[in-house]
Amino acid sequence: MSSISQTVGAEERRAAQARARGYRLRRTLFLTLNYGFMLFLVGFFVFPVVIMVVSSLKPERLVSSDMRTIYAFIPREATLENYTCPDYQSPETKCVDGAGGVFERLPMPRLFFNSVFVTSSIVLLGLFVNSMAAYALARLRLPGRGIVLTLVILLIIVPFESVAVPLLLLVNELPWIDGTISWLNSYHVQIFPFAADAFSIFLFYQFFLNIPRDFDEAARVDGAGGFLIYRRIIVPLARPVFATVAILQFLAHWGSFLWPLMTTRGFEFTTLPVAMNVFFGQAPRQWGDVMAFASLATVPVLVVFLLFQRWFVQSVSASGVKG
Amino acid sequence: MNRKFWVALSALALIFGAFGTGIVAAQSPTVVTVWFHSGQGAERDALTAILDRYNASQSVYRAEATQLPEGSYNDQVNAAAVANALPCLLDFDGPNVYNYAWAGYLIPLDDYLAQVPDLAADIIPSIIQQGTYQDKLWSIGTFDSGLAIWGNKKMLEAANVRIPTSIEDAWTLDEFNAALEALRAVVPADGYPLDLKMNYGAGEWFTYGFSPILQSFGGDLIDRTDFQSADGTINGEAAVAAMTWFQGLFKNGLTSATPEDDNVFKDGKAALSFVGHWVYPEYSAALGEDLVLLPMPKFGEKAATGMGSWNWGITSTCAAKDGAWDLLKFLLAADNVKAFADASGAVPALTSVLEADARYAEGGALNIYFQQLVGGVAVPRPQTPAYPVITRAFAQAVDEIAKGGDVQTALDKAADTIDRDIANNNGYAPRN
Amino acid sequence: MAVTTPPRRKPSLYDGERRLALLMLSPAALLLLCFLLIPFFMAFGLSLTNQRLISPNPTEIIGLGNYRELLDVRFFPLAPRLDPDTNAPLRDAEGNLVYPAVREILRADPETRFFRELAQIDLFGTRYLIAASDATFWRALANTFMFALIVVPLQTAFALMLAMLVNQKLRGMNFFRTVYFSPVVTTMAIVSVLWFFMYNPDFGLINSLLGVVGLGPFRWLEDPRSALFSIIILSIWQGVGFQMVIFLAGLQEIPQELYEAAQIDGAGRWRQFTNVTLPSLRNTTIFVVISTTILAFKLFVQVDVMTFGTGGPFDSTATTILHLVNQGYRQQRVGYASAISVIFVLIVLVISVLQRRVLTNREV
Repeated sequence: MSSISQTVGAEERRAAQARARGYRLRRTLFLTLNYGFMLFLVGFFVFPVVIMVVSSLKPERLVSSDMRTIYAFIPREATLENYTCPDYQSPETKCVDGAGGVFERLPMPRLFFNSVFVTSSIVLLGLFVNSMAAYALARLRLPGRGIVLTLVILLIIVPFESVAVPLLLLVNELPWIDGTISWLNSYHVQIFPFAADAFSIFLFYQFFLNIPRDFDEAARVDGAGGFLIYRRIIVPLARPVFATVAILQFLAHWGSFLWPLMTTRGFEFTTLPVAMNVFFGQAPRQWGDVMAFASLATVPVLVVFLLFQRWFVQSVSASGVKG
Repeated sequence: MNRKFWVALSALALIFGAFGTGIVAAQSPTVVTVWFHSGQGAERDALTAILDRYNASQSVYRAEATQLPEGSYNDQVNAAAVANALPCLLDFDGPNVYNYAWAGYLIPLDDYLAQVPDLAADIIPSIIQQGTYQDKLWSIGTFDSGLAIWGNKKMLEAANVRIPTSIEDAWTLDEFNAALEALRAVVPADGYPLDLKMNYGAGEWFTYGFSPILQSFGGDLIDRTDFQSADGTINGEAAVAAMTWFQGLFKNGLTSATPEDDNVFKDGKAALSFVGHWVYPEYSAALGEDLVLLPMPKFGEKAATGMGSWNWGITSTCAAKDGAWDLLKFLLAADNVKAFADASGAVPALTSVLEADARYAEGGALNIYFQQLVGGVAVPRPQTPAYPVITRAFAQAVDEIAKGGDVQTALDKAADTIDRDIANNNGYAPRN
Repeated sequence: MAVTTPPRRKPSLYDGERRLALLMLSPAALLLLCFLLIPFFMAFGLSLTNQRLISPNPTEIIGLGNYRELLDVRFFPLAPRLDPDTNAPLRDAEGNLVYPAVREILRADPETRFFRELAQIDLFGTRYLIAASDATFWRALANTFMFALIVVPLQTAFALMLAMLVNQKLRGMNFFRTVYFSPVVTTMAIVSVLWFFMYNPDFGLINSLLGVVGLGPFRWLEDPRSALFSIIILSIWQGVGFQMVIFLAGLQEIPQELYEAAQIDGAGRWRQFTNVTLPSLRNTTIFVVISTTILAFKLFVQVDVMTFGTGGPFDSTATTILHLVNQGYRQQRVGYASAISVIFVLIVLVISVLQRRVLTNREV
């Protein structure tokens, strides 16, 4: 450094400093613009959720009138009455909508349990059956493999809505394991039709296909059979794709609406999205209650995601989800 | 980390699984299954209390009630009907009864009702009218609805608008138009004279609330002589005139197609509120003495208004039909009818209860409803199995008209949708 | 593999492997067969009947009747109205020719009685009327295509941009990544209600915010010109985060040396993007485009919630699946709706195959 400064003339030094200044300036400008733009996008992505939570903490009469002002983002006169208002029937109570909060109108713990139970059962069962099927397709000698594979890819495009009514007619005739015809209004009617999923099989298949054959050849020589190879080699290697499929399936079914609507009645087995229809009837729509319900259905998933997000992004990266 | 996660998840699922299968209970008295829609809080609480009282009052039958979300109630009932999984007793929005009866999943109630002549005589005529299809009675409601216009007395007086007090001196169309113009001056800048509850969205409210305008103008949803065609009626001259006037309300800023919320009238941002009885508890709490109920205007020769509300029917697949009737009879007991009407603000379905209620007596806050129901102003919605299609088609037309669509085109489309559906169902010929 | 002679595979080993393969495939295969394939074939069967959801009338086999009602489109040449006295064509105040009312023409023939106008076009000096038996279906189909045509490129490009932003080696990228992804974990049925509330033209938050910068007010869902666009914004908001993560995964796999080599060649940022990034992401892009297309064609929940199931105003947001649900479930026409689903699956099938062809054959 010192030797350089000795050899370079003062003029050149000034020029170098100016260049450095110019670079710093450009760098600062770039960073400012960059972060400014990214923060703007943050606004775009979070403001609906913020509005939802903030609105849920306001008394009903302020929910929509505040939307025109900056108060949309500020929970003024904060209250929990949209969530719970146990003595709503007494005239003195402050929550005037006459229906109580979300917890009075709906058996929320039960609904949560139902949603979580149904969704995680679909996910868990799905991980088993779909990964096994994909393994059979990707790595085992299977008669008619090509046809099955084509069929699986075709099934990806069949929308559930198009088979809903025939499926209803079908499950209505199906016997359950205890021998009775009791598929309607149950957990299993919401789980089994969705456990096998063509898209999940496809994702597993792609990943399994790319695992080098040497691994299982070695194991085979050690005397391991096909299933053992699946369990001991493929599954551990494929953890990221398991995680990705689990998350995708969870998101797809956490919000499922049409099928639970058709197959459940009341709140015993039904899930959160169906129960939301309590707020949409001839009775006036209570936006505060709707927002409280929406927050309750959204925030826990969001929190779980925040806890696992680093792990999740890595999984998707590692699972190589792509063409 | 990963393995622990999976172990934990599996354990969780196992616990849940045990939970799930553990919830099975046994019953001993004859079970009568009941479905009802989750209405407003007070309504729901009143009904739950009545059902509890029923179970405590006797031990032969046991009512087992399930509450279904209102927003998807019809969809769930249809799915259950397809699957032959309907309960014994269920409630449904009035005009669906004709479709349900036609499809064969309700039983007629005439024989049951004949066993209790006192009750039969006490039920108000509009309830019987609504429940009747092909000369049989298929459903009975414990309350009826009332549709008229709520007014803010202070504003009406400030605008010098005449306040009619009986169905005879209801506003004419010109008077109504003049009143709306006059009220423009007294509502705040962010308000408007008339609240039409467009925030309820394109659904049953549009048909229930706005088809009376059609009828008052001289039109209707369908030709009621044989219920075979809507063409020329729903899109006839009178109907087009009615809906053109209706569209004018939006075009001239007299009402809003996108109200901010349900509080427009309560907050004094609208002087009139065109809506049913169900807002009464709220409105009277908010406005007190300033709340007046105005009869439906005479848009044409005569006034018209809606009627009918949620009804009870007994299903043909019910194993305990007598039990279902026993429970329905209990729901129709005077005390229970009164309890429910008090909670919801609806018109009680029994003359005896109505007459004892000061609100419906002359000078009472809700007297207009009584006048409209007994005075021939109230018109039942079309008594045809095509009703579900009619109401969807009309609601969609109203939606388009409110958003500025061509009135004739929107109504033509509704007419075609309805007529095509009737043709597709061989005219909805009655079952034999 | 320390083997001198390759192990001779005995037929029994193959048999064992086959048995295992079938065994491992069978749970998923059975479930798919039972809950997807059989119902789909049932739908195909039902599409040949007049089956209704609930009806006392017996179901009849009507062959291709449903398909005819669904797909029938006819062209009518329109002759301008003539002045009865002069026999000269009538003209309106602006000098345009006057044509007879469409509904009169259609209703004159019992076969086209329920047809509705799709469009009128002038071709070689003659006005033609295009009318369809089920005009809503064609509008729905057009909307679905329009939605896919806008959403697929827009969402893919947006996702790529987001991925490149959060892939920068700068502080706080984890935060941005998380935030951009967060809408994906919300439930569509629920956020649709939320957006419906925010789109309200009079008090909605979106108009309020735009008003601050002097834009609007827009009538979002109320105006047929902007309604579908409103649905598109919500859909991208909710879905783009997932594609972002997939692109991010793809970006992280591009070897740094490629960029270094490009820099040595004097390539600027843009050239690096077009010459290195895009070609390296080819497979990722194909995956994103095809999966987004399939999802786009299934558009339903947002529209159903935000338009109260009408697909309005004026069918401007009607989609194929919405039409299917409205016809099959709400109007109880199971047979007819089944025909819609068969046609729909065929269309998506053709598009996915074409897409795969075009995208995978393209020279890079």
